This record gives sequence, structure tokens and C-alpha cells, in this order.
Amino acid sequence: MGKWFKSGTPWIWMTGGAVSLSLIAVIGLILLIGWRGLSFFWPATVYEFSIENQQAEKSVLIGEIYDTEHVLKQQLIDGGVTGLEDEADSLDRFLLKIGNREYVDLDFQWILETYIKDKKVAHDIVVFERTKNGNFYGYLEAIKEGETTLPIDQANLIDELDQRLDRALEFRDKEHDLLTGDIGRINNDLANIRLEQRKVELDGELTDAKIAEFKAQSDALRAEYLGLENELFSYRDQAKRDSVVVKDMTGRSVSMPLSYILDFYQPNDMNFFQKVGHWLHQVYKFVHDDPREANTEGGVFPAIFGTVFMVMLMAVIVTPFGVVAAIYLHEYAGKNSITKFIRIAVINLSGVPSIVYGVFGLGFFVYILGGSIDQLLYPEALPSPTFGSPGVLWAALTLAILTLPVVIVSTEEGLSRIPSTLREGSLALGATKSETLWRIVIPMASPAIMTGLILAVARAAGEVAPLMLVGVVKIAPTLPVDGNFPYLHLERKFMHLGFHIYDVGFQSPNVEAARPLVYATSFLLVTVIIGLNLAAIAIRNNLREKYRALEH
Amino acid sequence: MIDLSNLNAKTNDLNTLTPENTALEIKNLDLFYGDKQALHNVSMKIPKGKVTAFIGPSGCGKSTLLRCINRMNDLVEICRVDGNIELHGINIYDKSVDVASLRRRIGMVFQRPNPFPKSIYENVVYGLRLQGINDRRTLDEACETSLRGAALWNEVKDRLHDNAFGLSGGQQQRLVIARAIAIGPEVLLLDEPTSALDPISTLTVEELITELKKKFTVVIVTHNMQQAARVSDQTAFMYMGKLIEYSDTNTLFTSPTQKQTEDYITGRYG
Repeated sequence: MGKWFKSGTPWIWMTGGAVSLSLIAVIGLILLIGWRGLSFFWPATVYEFSIENQQAEKSVLIGEIYDTEHVLKQQLIDGGVTGLEDEADSLDRFLLKIGNREYVDLDFQWILETYIKDKKVAHDIVVFERTKNGNFYGYLEAIKEGETTLPIDQANLIDELDQRLDRALEFRDKEHDLLTGDIGRINNDLANIRLEQRKVELDGELTDAKIAEFKAQSDALRAEYLGLENELFSYRDQAKRDSVVVKDMTGRSVSMPLSYILDFYQPNDMNFFQKVGHWLHQVYKFVHDDPREANTEGGVFPAIFGTVFMVMLMAVIVTPFGVVAAIYLHEYAGKNSITKFIRIAVINLSGVPSIVYGVFGLGFFVYILGGSIDQLLYPEALPSPTFGSPGVLWAALTLAILTLPVVIVSTEEGLSRIPSTLREGSLALGATKSETLWRIVIPMASPAIMTGLILAVARAAGEVAPLMLVGVVKIAPTLPVDGNFPYLHLERKFMHLGFHIYDVGFQSPNVEAARPLVYATSFLLVTVIIGLNLAAIAIRNNLREKYRALEH
Repeated sequence: MIDLSNLNAKTNDLNTLTPENTALEIKNLDLFYGDKQALHNVSMKIPKGKVTAFIGPSGCGKSTLLRCINRMNDLVEICRVDGNIELHGINIYDKSVDVASLRRRIGMVFQRPNPFPKSIYENVVYGLRLQGINDRRTLDEACETSLRGAALWNEVKDRLHDNAFGLSGGQQQRLVIARAIAIGPEVLLLDEPTSALDPISTLTVEELITELKKKFTVVIVTHNMQQAARVSDQTAFMYMGKLIEYSDTNTLFTSPTQKQTEDYITGRYG
């Protein structure tokens, strides 16, 4: 035994154990959120339940089993539930997602297993995804064009619905393109004309001729807008032409215009491969679509875009600053106590709570810097702020100073690892210090700079608290990049996956509907961060291979 | 043992060198690292087109003296130099001297091969690119001439664009010499150039040194007395920061005038 200790084996086991524990924790975490998040998109079986409660009231519920809970009988009796005398000590309780939000009190209902008298797979059930009020579960009865019911027999209804929904979606797409394209441009132009006019007015050069000119311009745009508006309404009307009649679980026939149906599927009539296809499609929609209904439905594309865009902007800002600061500290600053003090201060900056950076960003960047920029460059827009309100640029800058210490420290480490013989070799060939820096030192330190950037990106992408003060919003109407000049709108507010998780998880009006989205968004955030890191690591390894240091 | 083959070669009186034959003149050089004096009143003339060797035990100041000649000691913050080193009558420690252009005229090769993490080609033309020369043909020519001059061309001509780290130690050292001669210096300083090399590579580099003196003035620091005897024309023996004896290599090794020199070359200390 003593020998075994002396051999060092227990230490190897201990360190190995620590590594495995960490790995298991990380993998477990990813698996858990991945499973919880991704299984949400699987088309769950829809059941038809016959319910009889203790008052002997009978009803039918159609829905998915969303969650199952094991409860003690005593707990239920304490909670005021009666008629459980004959039951076992503990019971199952099911959370059913029954949808049809506008027709029922609660679209998620807890049902005790004893109340369920009968449970069968609801064949031919159709699940509709809608633009509002969530999913609708029901049996397809008929399709109407205008007010007339089409004479189609039951077997062909689904195919017909498919075709007519495609037609309706086509009009919706046209409507969307028109809104974001031409109408967006006209709105933008109108705003610009108004700003232009105000600018001329501030310069004191507003003559009647100019006013007339501006008026003519905006009138022309308004006329164009009216034309487009008519087009828009015609699309809407055309999309509304058809409607579908569906029988819900209470037996009532409900008519819904196709214009607010997004998709429909029959989960109980799908085979495995169709389900996989449907799942992939749902995941795609989640990643690609805009959120709907206060973020509880739809996708998260703007949040993904905002996160990646903001992090990249941050990387672009932090790299030069960090590298330049590190080069000064390491190469030029005198090796004295002041430099030492500065270095310690820089390292300690990374210990400041991130929300403090948020407050600093709001106070300095947004109000002082942004306010001054507005005074100087956008006086015509005042009092409404341009850069003087939170936006993606300020968020990126705030995170850049948050991550600056990381970049400085790792760049300095990289600089000090470069053998002095290489610097001397370059100097001996008649290079000045700055030439040596540019041609030898910085390229060789680039893997270390990339390491710093990786750490910075990893930290910045996960940071939420400071962003809430300097630019993140629940719903951003437009992305920071679009087709209107100047294409890059750094003053705009943006959405962020981290904040989206917080918002959906804690601020959502519909907790049950939001819960799987929290998991899915978390998983996505982790995926995005891993993706950003992998990209940076790939670049670094490439650089490392290129500048492999001398192996003495 | 000591090679005495050029015993009968014509000897130069180092003190009566004409200015035309002098490459460098060191006058009353003192050097301090902080409070510690590392060189004491060193004065010597280094003749043009010859190989001059500095020998002496470790820490005697021979490398320090060598690094003074192209002002490499400027990099050491606490280092202070008094006295003159004159290149063509101009003191290189004068304020008006541009250190970068001085180092272009006085090249240096270090103890360990230090190629840059670039291709062989880019290593050789590094100094030329620094001077703003980017014309492909000029660079190609300079690269070939320098590599031939460093006796490396035949070994690397087919892989000029491979990474220089792929070369062996001896090849790397010759590459570094090629890099130094590519910018056409007048003086070439070699700081123990073979101490990190195996015997075969050492031999190649020594042969190369004999070739190099046809075009350049060579100053070499070595802790290997046989090497000094083999390659140099005159030798300076240093001890404790002082120049003890400086004369023709043959004279120094066969009839040293100083007791300390004799003790050292006969292996009694150091």
C-alpha cells in the first residue's frame, strides 16, 4: 500500500478522476438541454381523452401529453381534491397541451389519472400552427372558399387544404416582401426627408422653395406608398379567401381563415421518417423564423443574428485595442513599478462584476458619447436619439472593455514566449524595433492573440447582464443589417439569445408554452458559442502550425 | 591539437595597420552593466578582409565586446558604454549614427541558429525586404547568390519555399549566415557560431568562414581554441573583461608574451 502511494499512482487516479468528472458534467449538461430542447420539435402523439371528474361531469380533451408528474394522494387530499379514497397512495398527473387557446380557459391542463376513463390515439387529428393563439387541434370537416363550402369528399380534404394553404402562404410571403422591401424603403426615405428638412431648417436655410421641394418629394413617396398599400391589401384579401372548418374536442365547428394558418400536420398518421422530416423542418423553422406571440412561438433567428453580430463586432473592436495595449506594456513601457501597477490593474479589471460594465456603458457610451455624437452629427433628429440610446455598437463596446483584460494578458504572454534570439536576429539585419514587431513578433504572437480572442468571445457571448442596459431588447423590429443605406445600422437595438432565454423563461405570459423554448434556446446559445470558439480555435491552430516556434 | 600549418604565413603588425586596411578600430572601450564593469579599457584594430578571433574563458567579455561592435548591447537597458568604436573613422556610438543602417553594414550570426518562422527564401531576403526591395528578380538573384555564398544552395535549391525549421541545425546556421550576407555587410560578426552544432556541421561552417573572408571582414568569438587556430588570422585573448593579448594567430598560439595567455592555451585554466 505504501509502495502504491509512493509510486504516484493515486495522484494519477485523482487527477484523472477530476478530469472525467468535469467532462461528465459538461457532457451531461449539453445532453440535458439538448434533449429537452430538441425533443420539443418532435411531433408528439395526440390523444383523445374521455374525462369524468368527481362531480361525474363528462368531457372530451384532445391534446399531447406534455409532462407527467407523480403526486402523493395525501398531498392531493390536503389540496382539497375529494373522491380519492379508493386510490393508491400515489397517483400520476398529466399535463395536457390542448391548444385552441381562444376557445378554452387554459390551453395547458393538469388531469389526474383517475379521471381519465378512456384514452385513445386520435386518428385523423390535424394540428394547425397559427400566427396567433398557438396551436389548434381538431378534425378537418370542410374547406370554404368565401362563404361557399366546397364539395370535396373527406378523403381529398387534406390534399386540397395543402394546395390552398400553399396559395395563401404565397400571398403572405408577397405581403411580407412588400412590407420589408418597398414599403420599408419608402418609410426609410420619408424619415430621411423629414430629417433632411429639419437639418436645413437648423442651418437656417429653409426657404419656401425648399419646403415645396421636400413636400414634392414626400408627396411622391406617399403616392407610391398608397399604390403599394392597395397591393398589400389585395394580397391580404386574397390570402383570406379560403377558410377551413374544423371540429374541436367539444364537437363545435370552428371556421378559420387560411391567412393565419402557418402550417398543419397529422402527427398520428405519420410514419417514422415523416416524423424525422417534420422534426428537421421544425428545427429549421426555429432557427430561421422570427419569433411570434411575445416570443413564445416561432423562431429565434433575430436573436441568433444579434448574438453573432454583436460578438463579432466586439471581437473587431477588442482585438486591436488589446493587442496594441499589450505591445505597449510588454515592448515599450519602462520596466518599473508604474508598469507593474498598470498590469495588475488590467488583470483586476476582469474581476469587476459585468453589470458594473453595463452601468458604465450606459453612463459613458450611451449618454455621454452617444449623446455627444447626436449633438454633433444628428442634430436634426433630436430630441429623439440616434446613437444616444442603447444600441448594438454600445453593447459591443461595453463587452469589448469587459473582455479587454483577457486579450491583453494572453497577448502579453504570447509576446514574452517569443525567443529573444529571433528579435535579435531581425535587429541584426538592420530592422528597427517596429519592423521587428510587425514582421516577426506579432505574427509569431498571433496564436496567443487568437487564444485571447477565443476566451474573450466565450465570455462575451454568454454575458447577458450588461447587455440589458446597453442595447438588448425583447423584440427588435429590424436587424442591425438590412438593405437600406447605410446597410449597417450600429445604433439599432438588437436581440440576443441569452436575453431571449431570460425573457422567455421569466417574462413570458405562457409559462408552459415557453419552457421547452428555454431549453431549445439555451442549447442553441451553447451551440453558437461552441461554433464561434471552434472557428477561432481552427484559425489559431492554423497560425500555430505556421509559426511553430524554434524547438531547441 | 593546435594547427600550426600556416606558421610561416606573412604576419601583420597589428599596431601599424594603415587606415585603409583597418576595418574597425576599438578605442579605450569600457562597458558597464549597471555598477559592474564588464569591459576594461579595450583597444584594438581589426584588419580588413581577415578573420579575427576572440578567445577566452566563459564570462571574460568576448561576446560582450562582439555585441558592442554592432550595438546589440543597446537592447540591454542597464548597459552603458564609454569609449569609441570606429568604422572608417566614424564613431559608431556617435549620436548621429543610425543603428539600423549600422547593423546593415555590420552583420551578425548568433550562437544558436535563429531562422525566422518563414520559408527558406523569405529568411534569406528578409533584410532586403526591410530595405524596401520587392522586385522578384532582384530577390531571386540575391537569394541564390547568398545561399551559394553560404554553401547551402545545392542542399536547398529545390525547397526554397519550405519552412526553414525543416532544415538541420548546421543547415539552419548556414541559412542564417546567408541571411546575414544577403544584405552585403562589410563586417560579419560570428558569436560562437558552431557551439550548437555537431562536428560535421562545424567543419562545414569553418570551411565557409575561410571562404567568407574573401569578401568580408570576419570577427568570430569562440571558446574552442583549435577552431580559432584553424580559421583565424589574428587572435585576441581576453580575460576578466580585459584584452590580455592580441596578435597574429600563429604568434599567439606558439609564443604568447603573457603568462595568462600561455596558461589558457595550454589548458591550465578556463
